[in-house]
Formats: sequence, structure tokens, C-alpha cells
Amino acid sequence: MMEIGLNHYLVLSTILFAIGLLGIMRRRNLLMLFFATEILLNSVNIAFAAISHFYGDLSGQMFAFFVIAIAASEVAVGLGLLVVWFKRSGSIDLETLKSMRG
Amino acid sequence: MLEPVNISLESLNLSTLTPMLIPIIGALVILCIDLIKGGLNKSLYVMLSLLFLLMDFGSLVDFAQLFSENGTMMGFFDVMLIDGLAIIGQLIIVVSSMLFIPLSLTSKRFHEYSYPEFYALFLFMIAGFQFMVATDNLILIFVGLELASLALYTLIALHNRNKSFEAAIKYFTMGALAAGFFSFGAMILYALTGSIEINQISAVLAADEYSNIGFVLVAVTFLLASFGFKLSLIPFHAWTPDVYEGSSAALAGYMSVVPKIAAFVVAMRLFEFLVHSNVVWLETILYVLVVLTMTLANIWALVQSDVKRMLAYSSISHAGFVMAAILIGTTQANSALFLYWVLFAFSNLGAFAMLWVNRQKVLVAGQDSDHPFEKFAGLVRTMPTAAAIMGLFMLSLAGLPPFGVFWGKMYMIASAVSGGYTVLALIMALNSAIAAYYYLKLIVFMFMKEPVYDTDKAIHMVNASMPLKSIIGFATVFTIFSVLFVSPLMEFITALVYNSGY
Repeated sequence: MMEIGLNHYLVLSTILFAIGLLGIMRRRNLLMLFFATEILLNSVNIAFAAISHFYGDLSGQMFAFFVIAIAASEVAVGLGLLVVWFKRSGSIDLETLKSMRG
Repeated sequence: MLEPVNISLESLNLSTLTPMLIPIIGALVILCIDLIKGGLNKSLYVMLSLLFLLMDFGSLVDFAQLFSENGTMMGFFDVMLIDGLAIIGQLIIVVSSMLFIPLSLTSKRFHEYSYPEFYALFLFMIAGFQFMVATDNLILIFVGLELASLALYTLIALHNRNKSFEAAIKYFTMGALAAGFFSFGAMILYALTGSIEINQISAVLAADEYSNIGFVLVAVTFLLASFGFKLSLIPFHAWTPDVYEGSSAALAGYMSVVPKIAAFVVAMRLFEFLVHSNVVWLETILYVLVVLTMTLANIWALVQSDVKRMLAYSSISHAGFVMAAILIGTTQANSALFLYWVLFAFSNLGAFAMLWVNRQKVLVAGQDSDHPFEKFAGLVRTMPTAAAIMGLFMLSLAGLPPFGVFWGKMYMIASAVSGGYTVLALIMALNSAIAAYYYLKLIVFMFMKEPVYDTDKAIHMVNASMPLKSIIGFATVFTIFSVLFVSPLMEFITALVYNSGY
């Protein structure tokens, strides 16, 4: 049985970050896009918690808490915008956001 | 059983929080007033915001005094850091905000200004930017950045048109991505050094002589991308013209000045120790970013048909120009950055305020955006003063002597030459020449063309009111007579920047 060390957590975090980044680039649905940014931010939390434990230093965990709080408030603002957009355009597809060009 | 923690109140140095607490208290007061008695006139809220910003300004002047006597101040377990950069950054933020907020006293009625929440969010945003510049701690930079950005998204959306919601969603998506990049970059730096304070990170990295240079570069790439979004550096600029077009002209002018100076201060703290420590790769990347941002933005600005979009691209180009200071990294260059930004703030806010007073609520036939070039055709016939003032701001932005931005450009290019970046100085000078073309295009439209729109309704200066005219007059005077106070201003800035070790 292999012991799970810091590197495993960091690799997990990087993979999740890549998934989030891919989601932001590929998703055409705004709600899914916002989910992808959540994955992006939360992947960092895993790494912060793991590194913080590794160093025995609490500032990483503090950072993770702040990231959680910020991710939550970002969702609040983002969903608010999304609801208004859906009321106005009847769709949350990325393709509807193209009245400005150039 | 945990030991009780004893911390003396003096060691916290609570006074370092005053400049940020004043706008926060102001925002809460505005919200409370609305709770007690709703439906009050917007001018009350504008005056309250101005009052709190003025108090904020006073406390900052006080800190500038203290700094010149005692040097850098730390507070709250060394999280707060009040040094010269923090003071000058906050001064620029607060003064630009004081110029911006009276622009809401328009003669036409606009949706967003009737809500007290607008002013509360505005003050919270200022507090966020202030936290961002007055700290060395990556957590607080992150929190300040997000506090300011989240408030800003809402302010854009409050303009209540389809385009503003679109702009807010675009900005929000880019901002969320930038937040992800920032936290990932900070995480790598934390993994490498075990610290989240910039000065300790640089000390630890220097102590082991950058043995993990690969990881440092990955971290720096993410941080650079994150600040690239905030500073709208090419290739992270794509949101900028759309967001400026979608938000009200006044807010667009504000966005091209205040968030960027906050991001510049953080970029200065973060990247300069890396540039100085012979991380050659970063120097190359910054060089390429600066040159691309300056040049491509200028070229795109040439082909715009809307004045606001043209000004958006021009502000990208100015940001690239100023980013060169972070590449050069000398005290002279860093002081030139702040000087440039003060002068640019006045000219740019003036130009956007001119667009704002010309904003009509109903578009005339053949007009497909708020401020196409054709709208300003023949302006000199109907409104000679307005045309002259707009032309003045354009000449200043183009960098014609003796108007405002010229002095910034001069100091910046001089610092590039004395920093050993001769080719960069040449590119900067060439870019100023290209930029002159599109600024002059607007002047040609105003002074030499016949009016295009055949309309009996007024389309110019419809939104003008006394406060707006005063702000524009103030910006005009500052731009014309900048020659008189450029050198004392430069001395003041250099003293602050030099004494904080940048």
C-alpha cells in the first residue's frame, strides 16, 4: 500500500485545475462555465490545505478559507447576473453574448 | 487546553487600517440612511460619498507625513504595509474616485444613480483597491482584488441595458478566471517557500538561489496572466473594449484608471524582485508583453468606428506603455509610472466625461452605438467650447507638449533610456506617433467635417449639468497647466517611491 504524500495532493490539484480550465474554454453554457470556475478555485484549496499541513504552517489553510469565501460570493454575484440575463434573453448560452464586436 | 493568546493592542497598529475603514464606514452609513428613510435625492448620497472620500484623502495625507518621518509602517501581524507605494497608490485611487462620483449628477435621469446601493458598492470597491495596494500579503491582495472586482461587476450591470449586462457577464467570467490564476500562482509560491508574504517569498527564493527556477516560472506565468487580465495586457485584453462599450462612459473612464493603478502597484511588488534577480526569462516575457500591448492596441484603435471603443484600445496601449516601468525597474521608472498615471487619469477621465455629457438616451437614425465618430462631426459649428475641450484631451492623450500626458511620456522614455533599454524607448516613441493618428482622427471629425446626422433634436451636451461641467473644467485646467506642477509632483512621488525601496 503506497502512502499518500504531498505530491499526490499537488497532482490531484493540478489535474482538477486543468479540468476547470478546460471547462472554461470548452463550455458553451454559462452555468457550466461558472461551475468550471468553481472547480478552478477549489482545486487550489486542496493544494493549499495539503501544503499547509506539510509545512505545519496555518497561513495556507487561512488562504483556503478565504478562497472558499470568495468563491461563494463570486457565485452569488455571477448567479445574479445570470438570472437577469436569462430574464432578458431567454437563454444562458454563450452565443447570446455577442451584441458587441470589433 | 489551548493557551490563551495575549496580543497587545499597540502591536496591532490599528491606525494603519484608517484609510480603508473610512470608505467602508461611509458605505455602511449610506446603507443605514436608506434603511431609515428611503427615496432620498441622489445628490445627498453623492455629497456623502465625496465627504468620506475627502476624509480618506485627509488621512492619507497624514500618512504621507508620518511616512516621511518614520518610514514604512506595518500593522496587524505585518499584514498591513503602509509604504510609499501604498500611499501614492491610494492617493491616486481616492482622487480619481472623487473626480468620478460627481459625474453621477447628470441632467438626464439614469437608472443606477437612483439607488443608494450604487454609492455603497462604489465605496466598498474603493476600500478593496486600497487593501490591494497597502499590503504585502497575498491573501489580502486576493481579498482586496475580489472585493473591488465583485463590486465593479455589479456597478457595470446596474446601468440596466442589455449591453451592460453582457459586459458585466464578460468581465465577470474573465475576472473569475483571473482569480483562479492568481490563487494557483500564489499556491505554487507558497509550496516553494512556505510563506505568503512577498518580501519573505523573495528572501527565501534568493536564499536558495532560485534552485527551483522551473516552478518559479510557472508561478510567475500564472500571476502574470492574472494581472494581465486586470491590466488588460495583450493577449488578455479581449474583454476590455466590450466592457467599456457596455458600461456607462463615466464608469468606463473610471475603469481605465483606478483598477489599473491598483494592479500596477501589486505587479510592482510582485515582479520587480524577480526581474532584478536575473530571471532572464521573465524579462523577455515582460518585454514582449509590453511591446505587443503598446503596438497592437494602437493598430486596433485605428480601425474603430466608435469613440468609446477607440478610447478603450487607447487605454490598453497606455497600460502597455506604463507596464514598461515594471520591466525597467529603476526608481526613476517607477516614479515615472505614478506621474504618468496621475496625468493620464485627469486627461482620460476628462475625455470619458466629455463622452458622458454627450450621451443621449435615444439614438438617432443611422446611429448604431452611443458615440460613433460621425456623431462628433462638425461639433465646432454647434458647440465650439466642447469641441475645443475634447480636442484638448485628445491632444493630451496623444502626448503633445505641453499638455498632461506628454510629461508622463517624456519621463517614461527618459527612464527607459537611462535604464539601458534604448530599443524599447524607440518603440515607445514610435507608438506615440502611431497613437497620434487616431486621436487626430476625432479632431478632424470635430473641426473639419460637416455634421452627419440630420436631426433637429439636440444630440450634444444633452446630459450636461453644473457638476459635470465643473469636473470637466477641473480636468481641463489640470491638463493645460500640468507643466507648472509636474516637477514638484515628480519630486513628491520620487521621495515616496525611493524611501520605500523601489
